[in-house]
Amino acid sequence: MKSALSVLEDAGDTLLKLAGSKGIDEAEAYLVSNKVLTIRLVNNAVFESKGVHDIGVGLRVIKGKMLGFSSTADLSKKSLEKLVSTAVETAKARQLPFKYSFPKRGKIAKVEGIYDKKLADLPPEKAVELAYEMVASSLACNKKIVDNAGVLNLVSYESLVLNSHGVKAENNGTFFEGSLSATAKDGKNVSEGSDATAGRSLKELKPENIGENAAEMAVSGLKAQKLKEGTYNVILDYEPTSGIVSNIAMLVSPMIARLYMQLFLDKLGKKIASSQVNVIDDPLMPHGVNSAPIDEEGNPTKRQIIIDKGVLKNFVYDSFYAALEKKKTTGSAQRASFSTGVSVFPGKNYNGEPIPVPLNPYLKPGDWKREEILKDTKAGLLVRRFHYTRVTNPTRGDFTSVLRMGLFMVKNGEVVGAVAKSRLLDNLIDMLRNVDAVSNKLVVAGNWGNYTHVPVIRTKAHVAPID
Amino acid sequence: MHKTADGKDMEEDLALFGVEHASKLGANYADVRLEDHYNELIIVADGKVQRGIINRKRGLGVRTLVKGAWGFQSTTDLTKNGIKQAVEIAFKIAKASSRHVPKPAKLAPTKAHKASYKTKVKVDIEDIAFEDKLKQLVSWEKSLHTTKKVVRGVAEYTGLKIDKMFVNSEGANIHFLNSVVWVNLKADAKERDVTQSYETTIGHSGGYEIFEKKNVKKVSAEIGKKAESLLKAKAAKTEKDATVVLDNHYVALLVHEIVGHPSEADRVLGREAAWAGTTWWAGKIGEKIGSEHFTAYDDPTVPGTLGYYLYDDEGVKAGRKLLVEKGVLKGHMHSRETAAIFDVEPNAGMRAITFEYIPLIRMSNTFFGEGDWDKDELIKDTKRGYLISCYRHPSIDDKRYNWTISAQEAYEIKNGELTTHLRDVALTSIAPNFFKSINATTKKVEIVPLPGCGKGDPMQGLYVGNGGPCLRGTATLLGVG
Repeated sequence: MKSALSVLEDAGDTLLKLAGSKGIDEAEAYLVSNKVLTIRLVNNAVFESKGVHDIGVGLRVIKGKMLGFSSTADLSKKSLEKLVSTAVETAKARQLPFKYSFPKRGKIAKVEGIYDKKLADLPPEKAVELAYEMVASSLACNKKIVDNAGVLNLVSYESLVLNSHGVKAENNGTFFEGSLSATAKDGKNVSEGSDATAGRSLKELKPENIGENAAEMAVSGLKAQKLKEGTYNVILDYEPTSGIVSNIAMLVSPMIARLYMQLFLDKLGKKIASSQVNVIDDPLMPHGVNSAPIDEEGNPTKRQIIIDKGVLKNFVYDSFYAALEKKKTTGSAQRASFSTGVSVFPGKNYNGEPIPVPLNPYLKPGDWKREEILKDTKAGLLVRRFHYTRVTNPTRGDFTSVLRMGLFMVKNGEVVGAVAKSRLLDNLIDMLRNVDAVSNKLVVAGNWGNYTHVPVIRTKAHVAPID
Repeated sequence: MHKTADGKDMEEDLALFGVEHASKLGANYADVRLEDHYNELIIVADGKVQRGIINRKRGLGVRTLVKGAWGFQSTTDLTKNGIKQAVEIAFKIAKASSRHVPKPAKLAPTKAHKASYKTKVKVDIEDIAFEDKLKQLVSWEKSLHTTKKVVRGVAEYTGLKIDKMFVNSEGANIHFLNSVVWVNLKADAKERDVTQSYETTIGHSGGYEIFEKKNVKKVSAEIGKKAESLLKAKAAKTEKDATVVLDNHYVALLVHEIVGHPSEADRVLGREAAWAGTTWWAGKIGEKIGSEHFTAYDDPTVPGTLGYYLYDDEGVKAGRKLLVEKGVLKGHMHSRETAAIFDVEPNAGMRAITFEYIPLIRMSNTFFGEGDWDKDELIKDTKRGYLISCYRHPSIDDKRYNWTISAQEAYEIKNGELTTHLRDVALTSIAPNFFKSINATTKKVEIVPLPGCGKGDPMQGLYVGNGGPCLRGTATLLGVG
């Protein structure tokens, strides 16, 4: 039986030949075999276990100054022939007002620690047991824990880019995401806690830690006090900081900035954050949660500075937006459909044209220990989780998040008690400008399939109670 | 759907094979969705085509219930061997999961329906050359630029065609040919340091004909003018306990967020706790949660809406679900499994965006019920208040209790007349307080397209319909300028 990679390679070769025979100037095939296994946990039990094997190809073609794209999940010869003609059909009338060509071959570095055979080959029965361990350890942690819900996602992918310039580059990887939300009850008091982490190898997955952390947060949130509305010093723990970094990552995409979120469009070279804020995109980071040796159009990836000492230094580019804005590609192409009703999976997707985004953005650690930041805070809030985070005004940067759980009052350098559900309402740039402490350790944090490497930060924000 | 050499329906044969194989392995229940997807996406911004995409995908998803545990696997390998492998994985993971399912899932009974139906389409999206659609999008985007003050325009078009076959081990066999299209138009206007935007979505379940019927070019120009007019509007100021008249378009997002989502029985049962959240009205069926003017439904059978279907992804026949009647919480949206838990009839709430996903309880078209006022009458009857128009962004807590939703524009109402044009406005309230405050609703119900509803892990982005009549109630008006 042929390996997935050789099936992809055969289909890619066939496509390039077919494209050549149809008089197409340039062709590019992005081929993916993506396997996702999801174990969903609800009400202290395994709720459903589900698998996807998505295999297919996205084809871009250039004919003269026209660019087209189409994708299919059917790799038969007949289907590939249709794919070529459909891609040509999409190119008609899409005349580019600038010169555009697919990427050329470049020197590709090796990235350590992004593929784990053990994770790729893990039998589904074992995955079920690992997932359930999160629930079991949460329940064992404290008798006040009454409910748990969560997910274990295991992903393995093989992807291949082939184009008419001789690019033939592959990127294979594995990824896991484990998250649990625990509910504690003590009399009439009910509180939630959660923990989530992601990584590239099975040995990084510690289900018992996820369960214990979620339970510990839930129990510590019992007997929460209502907050008085106001502007507070807020210590954003790893997960909320990851929410901030994920938003910054979207804002430095020229495509997203043009279409949806204009906040950074006129701020290149300007100070948008305090000097302690340094955001870097490093897809070459060993074991990086989103690291990759190539981007999703075959460019070698590289480390680049996004925000340097608070100054917005760079947007990131794929080859299309680089040509449109007369810049150089930064090797930052990612694929996903922009349409609702169309699948987007953890791992790799082939059903969209490249979108420029930082592939593995992180906030550079500072020189504070997390405990030191706490100790240094005379009065403020420790925010351990964000929920329903939105930039509600994409030109002005109004920023909101529901502080659903994991909110604590800090007095004289100590956590003195839990705070009831509240809402953070501020401005993203103001919050970045007010950052006065950054911790010295990077941790993988995030939620719902979106994870980055982040430290803990302290800033100021307006927070109001939710009745 | 494809035919075999002897004229038999190939898909049906393959789908039935999947179900039979699952039953042979020992599954207590199995269903198969075999689907053919065609979708188009075009995005034009500032005169340039940013995206021009056609995707095709065909495959099968098999769901098994083994010893009360769910297993699911999808595949695009539609050979008998490929299907066999998928079924075996779905069976194996369900069996492994059953060790940790203390309360085995049970399915509420439903008839094994056999049906074939399709969305009414006048102009098939595949019959319009992609090139022509691209040109139209460019012209629609251009029309947004009514003056130089409109500094940015975006026109996004999506067209979907889904050919779906559902079969299950109880003998159901349903074939649905669906087509859904929409275009979103957005203009940003700028003057000095003020930027204002305005947007709308035109869409339906049907074909490309809607874009001719609605005269999109004209709508685009109106959107451009609206964005520009907001530059001169007055920034709203916060006012507690304001009387607010909500138009159909604002009501669409409100009903989506504070009635639709909390009505999903999986949320009510705490099954979405780790993701979107739960609901404040869990356990309150039969209780009064709002005024007598508050009635709400979910109804997938309304032709032409984005949430249209006649059978859900469990083969259950759809109808109108009564969620709230005259202020009393009446029911939820159900799967067969949650219907069994609540001991009610299943009501066809399950959907998956493609064969690659297991179905979830989703909204179809959720809307407020009508009253007996005319909109003009309602405004005339309001001495002092605000007309809140067209939704923008939501911020809702995890129990759907505390809500804040911004609007694209508002007008002050003084002595029954619309006066000052307002911008940068949002409303906030507590759901039961707002529901109790509703004191009038209009006769005309409008369901508008809402193409961006997310739920599930992995996330399933789905298109739904939402709306209702205009409502009058009380909320805190927020100035968000």
